[in-house]
Amino acid sequence: MSAVFLIVVPILVAFISILFKKAAPYLLLIASFANVIMLYFLSPETILIGGYGAPYGISLIVSNFSIASLYIVNILFFLVVALTIKDFKKLSSILLVALAGLNGLLLTGDLFNLFVFIEISGIAAYLITTTNNKPLATFNYLVLGTVGSSFYLLGLIILYNMFGTLNMADLVSEITSSGINPLAVSLPFLFMFIGLGVEAKLLPFNGWVKGILGSSNKLSGPMIASVYAAAIGLLFGNLLNTYMFTFDSKIQLIIIVVLLGSITAGEAMAYASTKVKEILLFSSIAQAGIVILVFINGLVGLGLVLVMANAFAKFVLFMVITQAESEIGNDDVDALQGLFVENKIVGAAFTVSTLSILGLPLFLGFVVKLNVLISFISLDKFLFPVVILITSIVEGVYFIKLLIKLWHKEDNAPIIRFDFILKYVVVIIALLLVAYGLLFSEVSDLVNYVATSIGGIL
Amino acid sequence: MLQYAAIILFVIGLYGILSQRNVIKIILSLNILEIGLNLFIISVGYVEGGIAPILTSTNNTSNTVFVDPLPQALVLTAIVIGVGTTALGLALAKKMYQKYGTFEIDEMGAE
Repeated sequence: MSAVFLIVVPILVAFISILFKKAAPYLLLIASFANVIMLYFLSPETILIGGYGAPYGISLIVSNFSIASLYIVNILFFLVVALTIKDFKKLSSILLVALAGLNGLLLTGDLFNLFVFIEISGIAAYLITTTNNKPLATFNYLVLGTVGSSFYLLGLIILYNMFGTLNMADLVSEITSSGINPLAVSLPFLFMFIGLGVEAKLLPFNGWVKGILGSSNKLSGPMIASVYAAAIGLLFGNLLNTYMFTFDSKIQLIIIVVLLGSITAGEAMAYASTKVKEILLFSSIAQAGIVILVFINGLVGLGLVLVMANAFAKFVLFMVITQAESEIGNDDVDALQGLFVENKIVGAAFTVSTLSILGLPLFLGFVVKLNVLISFISLDKFLFPVVILITSIVEGVYFIKLLIKLWHKEDNAPIIRFDFILKYVVVIIALLLVAYGLLFSEVSDLVNYVATSIGGIL
Repeated sequence: MLQYAAIILFVIGLYGILSQRNVIKIILSLNILEIGLNLFIISVGYVEGGIAPILTSTNNTSNTVFVDPLPQALVLTAIVIGVGTTALGLALAKKMYQKYGTFEIDEMGAE
């Protein structure tokens, strides 16, 4: 099975769904499920589009890393769509385009093609966030996103001018063989990093996050916070490790300072928030910082598992909170107090996911965090574990405070009828988070599988 | 020379986005930024004295100087994407006007 179908099928179905409006939601469900099935038949290879050999044609790189990434993104996408599409039937075609864009991001081996996929998934994301009914926030997101991708384009054109190629692997070999001073290519890479940093919610390009996720609904919350965040995090992993983004050591230092700032600021703002969604969104800014910090230090496999653990946990948290908010009409911690008194099953899943993000033992998050800390120490980078541990304590305080509030209320606890399927899905994800937290060997197998990636082949 | 002009346009657009508080003006600034960028891309492929990269009966020798066709193809895609985002931005501007009765962000209040 060729990986091209992962991009072509959603786009084609998107066109068909415009003609058959009534069938569009079903087409979306079938196409996104078919994508998950198709992944099973993928094997590592390089696909040349149109038969033009690299570096002249566009190539799609199917590596172990991209297969694992595609699994994460496609499964999450299908779950979000399956649980929410009945309320957002009008968005079916756009969601199909989003799926094609996200798959393209993770597969492409061409810099300009990557820009096109960033824009496709970006425009789909702006349209998805219009369902929040906050046009100003969406407009901010659109402006920031467009400026970001313009910077990315500027960076890639400078690189093209310098090396005459757009193929990522070819570019890497050109840079290495030319023996150019890393400082000379730092500027274009920095432009590209800024461009991707907007979508990745890095400080200071994350001005849009509060407006979008703070007023997100059942669809836009999990979609942006979980599916898109996972895809962009994995894209960073792909670019930083498999291919390129070679920075001069001084520039790298600046980026690391920005990342550490992103982590601490995110956790501090989450601590100060009184709305549940704001707590979650600020904490995801911090998580995005940690993910990129892990990738920038060359820990590919661990980074991928970290993204996976975060994305699935965030999916549960945003699903539960946006569903509860849509019934109560408010997401203040005080308004949602006692939410789980009458909804113990959902509450248990929510608690497990929170504790997994926090990195407490028994859960997947713990295994990953522990390994990340050990790897940093073995790399002689002692500052990162200190920052991660300190911010984890802050994270622990606000998450435990939140959980206590949500579990305790003497009287008048809100009763919310959670969707039957949603209950099952969040419980299964929570069980998986526990299961993988206990199966260390399975996690390290995945880490090793991803690390034997074939990326970098033309 | 064209490169400098393109970068100046890019920076003017960026300045507009940062300084303007009117939705339409921000969209215009975004367009100026994109035009600057597109000009920059085109300028990268320009070759002094080069002709259009098409083989014809008069231009078929191997020593004919062509301009680089790749940036032209890239710019075409970039223009289409730019038009898409502008259209979406204008649709959002209309939505904002319907909701708040103004294009000034400061008058819209906190959402």
